[in-house]
Amino acid sequence: MLMLDSINQLLSHIKDVQVDVIDLSNESLMKMSNFMEKNNLEIDDEISTALQYQDIITQQLNASIETIESMKKSIDMFSHAYKNDAGLAEESISKLQAKLSVTLAEAKDKKSRFSGRFSASDAEDEIEFF
Amino acid sequence: MPLVIFVDDSETALASTRMVTNSMPLEVKQYTEAQVALAEIKAGMTPDLIITDLNMPVMNGFEFLKELRAVAATSRTPTLMLTTETKPELKQQGKALGLTGWIVKPFNPAQLKQAITRVLRLPA
Repeated sequence: MLMLDSINQLLSHIKDVQVDVIDLSNESLMKMSNFMEKNNLEIDDEISTALQYQDIITQQLNASIETIESMKKSIDMFSHAYKNDAGLAEESISKLQAKLSVTLAEAKDKKSRFSGRFSASDAEDEIEFF
Repeated sequence: MPLVIFVDDSETALASTRMVTNSMPLEVKQYTEAQVALAEIKAGMTPDLIITDLNMPVMNGFEFLKELRAVAATSRTPTLMLTTETKPELKQQGKALGLTGWIVKPFNPAQLKQAITRVLRLPA
């Protein structure tokens, strides 16, 4: 299944780009943060929040990388089954579709979970004591 | 000075918290791996406050908290979760494990400072 191989290669490429973006944004923020600390620069709430966006960006990208890996794994399994027995292709397509649906649901859950106060309806209630 | 330890696998998240604690009368130690912090605690370190992330590789925040509660020196140490997670069931799980409080990222610096001041009973 050449088409699936191409899709897998594209997914690998997207993953590589995301890994690079994580590294670059980390490096960028650490340089700014080190500069501010070295020069004893005080930051206000808005700047602090902006700096924390990087952590959320990293978590979101890592979650989407996990999604890509899960998709690749499902496609690999289908591709393997198809190559071994073309007669099983229809059944394998159904399994692939089911696995991709699960992957999508998990990805959406992670997007929500890793957004912090951006996705919470009680955004004002950021600290809760028990 | 009270010892506060921060545990977060994100260097940038730790940098953000440093900017809050730099101006406070605290001794601060930061760790990117919970298991390293735990090893130092088991070796005799006695923090007055622990602030930890939840989603971390190898040992997550809940696993770390369970281990902390099993060590006599930290069985009652105030511990705050600092995380992007907002689900009530996770907060309940933390509460059941003896968590002191839950802070959602991105945090407001003034409120984080107030939370630390409150838990450690520092002069306002």
